[in-house]
Amino acid sequence: MTTLRYIIRDTWRLIFHHWVLGLLTLITAGVMLWILGITTLLALNMENLLSKLESELAVQAYLVKDNTIDVEAIARRIQSLEYVYSIKTFSPSDSLAKLQHKMGSQSRALEMLGDNPIPWNFEIHVNSAQDVEPLVETLKAMPEVDDVVYAGLVVKRISALSRISSRVALVMFLLAVIITALVIYNTIHISLYSRREEIGIMYLVGATRAYIATPFVLEGTLLAFLGAVIAGAGIITAYFPGIELIRENLPLLTNIILTDHALIWRFCGLLAGFGATLGWVCSYLVVARFINSITRPE
Amino acid sequence: MNINFSGVSKIFEPDIAALVDITLNIDQGEFVYIIGQTGSGKSTLLRLITREILPSRGVVAVGGYDLRRMRKADIPYYRRDVGLVAQDFKLIPTLTVYENIAFVMEAMSVPKRLVSERTKDVINQVGLWRRRSMRPAQLSGGEQQRVAIARALANSPSLFIADEPTGNLDFHTAAEVMKILFAINAAGVTVVMSTHNQGIVNASRQRVIELDGGRLIRDEKGGTYSS
Repeated sequence: MTTLRYIIRDTWRLIFHHWVLGLLTLITAGVMLWILGITTLLALNMENLLSKLESELAVQAYLVKDNTIDVEAIARRIQSLEYVYSIKTFSPSDSLAKLQHKMGSQSRALEMLGDNPIPWNFEIHVNSAQDVEPLVETLKAMPEVDDVVYAGLVVKRISALSRISSRVALVMFLLAVIITALVIYNTIHISLYSRREEIGIMYLVGATRAYIATPFVLEGTLLAFLGAVIAGAGIITAYFPGIELIRENLPLLTNIILTDHALIWRFCGLLAGFGATLGWVCSYLVVARFINSITRPE
Repeated sequence: MNINFSGVSKIFEPDIAALVDITLNIDQGEFVYIIGQTGSGKSTLLRLITREILPSRGVVAVGGYDLRRMRKADIPYYRRDVGLVAQDFKLIPTLTVYENIAFVMEAMSVPKRLVSERTKDVINQVGLWRRRSMRPAQLSGGEQQRVAIARALANSPSLFIADEPTGNLDFHTAAEVMKILFAINAAGVTVVMSTHNQGIVNASRQRVIELDGGRLIRDEKGGTYSS
């Protein structure tokens, strides 16, 4: 308890001794973690949007015209495939009715065809856009399947968009982490360097390495944590009004965007924890390295 | 705390022999002067005792422990038992006299009340209570030296190392400092002090160890500055 009191006092001393540098670190960490948070939220929203689009993707499989075919057995076989999320079976008459409904006033043109030309068919939904291609290949290989119709280009674009979005989010995440880490590392290094003589004296008169190091590690952790709290506050301030704006102007997107307040608060809590951990790791590394070099006997 | 040097040499890079084959023994409670010209190896010998440096050859043992084999984690605990007064005082410029002394005990997690009592006690011992709120830069050389002595006394060490503690002081202040060192020694603490001050060595007639070019050339009980 006594040691803790001394350590906390020394941490405050450190922060106030280099308050300009501390403030700069705080602002930089805040901005970088805000970018990190917003990027992550955008990526999550993008994922949400893509998964919604993916769930809308359907593959239409038409069976050969053969009355001996066991449609239900084929449906079960398709349902058991790992890519398949759901399958709906349409009889030729259902399909014709659907088509007539779609064509509206022009549906009379269908009567010119005579017999119903549409065979038994399935509307298959997949788990993700990437599953469409392998599913199509599997369906085409089935002798009972006559034709497979799907939005190939859309699938390819959604898959590509999903990949790009994940990569951009990852790059932004890494950049923000690296910049924040470097700023904290540098601040603590300057703090240590300016007190190198003091550190040497403390070690010489019997202070343990932990006693010397802890205030510096706490300084870095605290700065990064406060930066993350500022970033969290910035995210909440920007995100919720942003949602309201979208709700008013683009109501269609309301269902796609993450709007759960509790989720966003939890996310900001996680960001604060992440900031503190990042600060702790960076400070620990630089302090351990510095104290090792300064206390190593010749 | 006794000190034992056995065949100790210290060679600094690239090839500077600061100490050559030193063998000596200092018993608990002794007062020893280390004398010699500048560059003779006095400070190196003291720095080996405080484990700021390690010997290139031989063994330095303090209180029966080989300092080279000492674990990293044990070094602070060893140093708490060694009071050190460096030639350049080694005071922390941003702390006051009081804080410079108190932090040694704070580092040992001594409760605040005890820190306060002991700090007051040692500051009074060196006669600087009225200057307790000043920073080192506001003090004279002699006063800074006394702060360094007070700090070294704070943990009640069994071994007191002083590297030219009177080097920058006038005769009167030097005599004051020596009075304190003799009082410490009278309490049973081993005192090892390097000095150039002939007057002090000749006046007190303690054990004298003389170094020249890193070699031990004289070890005399009740000796004077010149053989």
